[in-house]
Amino acid sequence: MNLTIEKRSPSTDTIVLDLTGEIDVYTSIALKQEITQVISDGAKYIVAEMSKVEYLDSTGLGLLIGALKRLRENQGSLVIVSPNVRIVRVFEITGLYKIFNIYESLAEAAEKENLKL
Amino acid sequence: MTDIKQDPSVTVLDSALITLSFPCSAEYVSIARLTILGIAGRMSFSYDDVEDIRLAVGEACSQAVERAMLKPGRALSNRGVGTIAIECHIAPPELIIDVVDDVPVLDSLDDLVNDDFDEDVDRPGLGALLMEILVDSVEVNSGSTGTRVRLIKLAGTPEPG
Repeated sequence: MNLTIEKRSPSTDTIVLDLTGEIDVYTSIALKQEITQVISDGAKYIVAEMSKVEYLDSTGLGLLIGALKRLRENQGSLVIVSPNVRIVRVFEITGLYKIFNIYESLAEAAEKENLKL
Repeated sequence: MTDIKQDPSVTVLDSALITLSFPCSAEYVSIARLTILGIAGRMSFSYDDVEDIRLAVGEACSQAVERAMLKPGRALSNRGVGTIAIECHIAPPELIIDVVDDVPVLDSLDDLVNDDFDEDVDRPGLGALLMEILVDSVEVNSGSTGTRVRLIKLAGTPEPG
């Protein structure tokens, strides 16, 4: 299965990436290109909607960590929304749930992060 | 293949060796994961165990592919060189999986060109951590001719915390 990336911009500095499929060593290249592009276009906040992501490996984690770090340097952030239990487990067993803000819904992310989504 | 009587709806594999060989390129790793899913799913593993095995094997393959994609003096490309062989030793209650590649380990990564935003993230370290947590035993042997990662998962072992 491949990765489908749908992008929308609910405000000038916020991008929602609606991800569907698997994030692995193959598909993360396209995701990296997309994230690189939105950051260089001025996005400060990236919301990764992951309810339809079925697989996430260390390549994808590394990519998300790198993006989070880059965005935080510019007082922004990357948040994870609606991951399924398998994806949550990957964040938990690696301890990365401590550095990512993970929300159950876009509404919760909007409220807690003070974003217009 | 032998049916066991506990659950007639499930066909459980008896001792066997299953091998899969494919090019050491990123697009083939999902095929390896699917194969492992099929094998582990027919042993006495829980759903979570099967998913753990799939992720661990995916990590072992990804590390081989990432090493194959690394070329001193140039950026990461999508296509590597070499071959990955997966040997699944079905030995109930154990599943022993050897992920063997013929990609030499680079002596130095200093010449790599990689100015991406995730350049300083320790992806191999993350992958190694995942493998250690997801299966019961991990052995890695690397050399000038390649790397062998042996993953062992026992059916019925407790879930990692």
